Amino acid sequence: MILRGRAISPGKAEGRVLKLNGTFSFLGGVNASTGDLNTGEGNVAGKVFVFSGGKGSTVGSFVMYDLMVHGKAPAAVVNRAAETIVTTGAVISSIPMVDRIDIDLLFNGDEVTVNGDEGTVEIKGTRMIRVVSSALLNESGRILLLQRPDNARSFPGTRSLVAGKIEAGEDIESAAVREIFEETQIHVSKPAASMPPIYVREGDIVWEVYPFLFRAGDQEPILNKENVSCGWVAPDEIKNDRSVVPQTNDVVKKMLRSIAGQQ
Amino acid sequence: MYLTRDEELILAGEEGESSRKAMELVVALGKIYGAEDLIEITSAHLSGASYKTIGDGGLKYLEDMAEGGAKVSVPSTLNPIGMDRERWREMHIPQAFAEKQLRIIELYKSMGVSPTCSCTPYLGDNVPSLGDHVAWAESSALSFVNSYIGARTNREGGPGALAAAILGRTANYGLHIDENRRPTVIIEAETDGSVFSYSMLGQAVGMAVGGGIPYFRGVEPTVDDAKTMSAAMAASGSVALYHVEGVTPEAGNFDISGLEKVSVGAKELREAYDKLNTADDIQLIALGCPHLSRKEMKDIATFLKGKKKKNKDVEIWFCTSSKIRAECADEVKIMEEFGPVLADTCMVVAPIEGIFKRTGTNSAKAGNYLPTLCSQDVVCRDILKLMEVVL
Repeated sequence: MILRGRAISPGKAEGRVLKLNGTFSFLGGVNASTGDLNTGEGNVAGKVFVFSGGKGSTVGSFVMYDLMVHGKAPAAVVNRAAETIVTTGAVISSIPMVDRIDIDLLFNGDEVTVNGDEGTVEIKGTRMIRVVSSALLNESGRILLLQRPDNARSFPGTRSLVAGKIEAGEDIESAAVREIFEETQIHVSKPAASMPPIYVREGDIVWEVYPFLFRAGDQEPILNKENVSCGWVAPDEIKNDRSVVPQTNDVVKKMLRSIAGQQ
Repeated sequence: MYLTRDEELILAGEEGESSRKAMELVVALGKIYGAEDLIEITSAHLSGASYKTIGDGGLKYLEDMAEGGAKVSVPSTLNPIGMDRERWREMHIPQAFAEKQLRIIELYKSMGVSPTCSCTPYLGDNVPSLGDHVAWAESSALSFVNSYIGARTNREGGPGALAAAILGRTANYGLHIDENRRPTVIIEAETDGSVFSYSMLGQAVGMAVGGGIPYFRGVEPTVDDAKTMSAAMAASGSVALYHVEGVTPEAGNFDISGLEKVSVGAKELREAYDKLNTADDIQLIALGCPHLSRKEMKDIATFLKGKKKKNKDVEIWFCTSSKIRAECADEVKIMEEFGPVLADTCMVVAPIEGIFKRTGTNSAKAGNYLPTLCSQDVVCRDILKLMEVVL
């Protein structure tokens, strides 16, 4: 699948991902003659080097140039947000660079193609699946979480909102209404809130998730076989850990804030 | 980002490889800061001159740029280098360092950059006017020309400023735009009027507000005061522009009602002073951060005239630009009795680590960087107090 960001430094390159989650300083962070990271987390030579953004001394730009001179430069750089030091280093060293990429979707070892002219990052061997994920809100302000079975195909054993695939040709909002009825027998009509899609990586799959929030009134769920149990949970009790599908807490809080804003 | 037809052609390589690379960099930097277009500049000031700071990567970059035929298209000056061109042996500089340093200067010269290497080009080598758009690196100098002169520049990095100098254009964003020059905080300031107290004021304000655009009340900095204050605020914080009521040219342009007010007086200056002082005795007194002005040279010479240096264990370096050293021959003669008057270098960008451990300075900027860039403990005092050690 192809991630769309912003073109920073031109050129196209392929390589395997070497990813750090935080910000990075080339000065002090890497050996310019060998490409070894000083933390022992790997070697940048020929890799698609992925990190949140640059920091530290402006000399870092010249360290990138020095890496290039030694033939140890990264094949490409991918950031969440570009800043002056790494941008300068990438451009003067002719290293393709793209930013505004959700680096959570890139895993160490992924084979990727970075296109610094178009601002894209293509992850090989992954596919994208479009799904809906709906928060049901009851009259006491609680949110319905479903418990997935341990043999579920995605995120087994975790709790989630009411989620399911969008069928080919199906309207996204209709898919949400349909999935809610199939999994809980609850009837809903118009969503109280929705959000632009979020993206969640699971193995070779990138889920393109369309979040919705519906009011369920006083209806109680009747589960089908897809989930093993369920419960109404106060929004503050939704955790940020692995017991819940990634980003559930974020998405619920954002949509609750948006309906609070409307009232 | 909007590029004119000419700019598009440069980006397509019509004017050669070095112009294309320069355009790629200016466009990339403009993009990340939301520039809508490019703007013509009247001058550039480049950092990345000392071999100590740019290393072999920087040297190779300059070699490749020069080989590619890069030439600046606007008057461009250069930051201090890691040694005096002639007197580097007096600074205990190793031969290998000197050779690479001299090579760097030759490369910049071949690109058309003025060979004076100073952090105070605005004192004579490169003087912008009110409203000029320029591309300056060197945090202290760019803050001075933004604030005291009213020229317009962002905080350029070394390669970005060089790219702008080659093109005669930089990306139009940030401090090039009227609205972004508006003050963000009022500083109710108090000093004792000495240059040193302005250095401490800059240090204290940088510590208090970090970045933003301070609007000063209650002080009337002269050129020398503003020189040291600009340097201090850019080192202890990231201030690139400030206004001073009744003094700087743009101070009256903005409605400042409703801005937050911060008082910075004797107590805050004392805290700044305490933070900078980390040693009791010194091996080197280094003056001229930023480079000594004509007036400072004169004041120092007047004070030293007829006196003798008694303490031979402490070295003294006076750092200024080659232009000002040449203009102040009489003062230089007096000062040389105490220590070398070094041109186009300073204690921060020279490799003094390994030679000295404890340095005395009158500069808050040097007080910030000597520990991190030169592994020095610091005594930070007024010039006359520093001199007491050797008299």
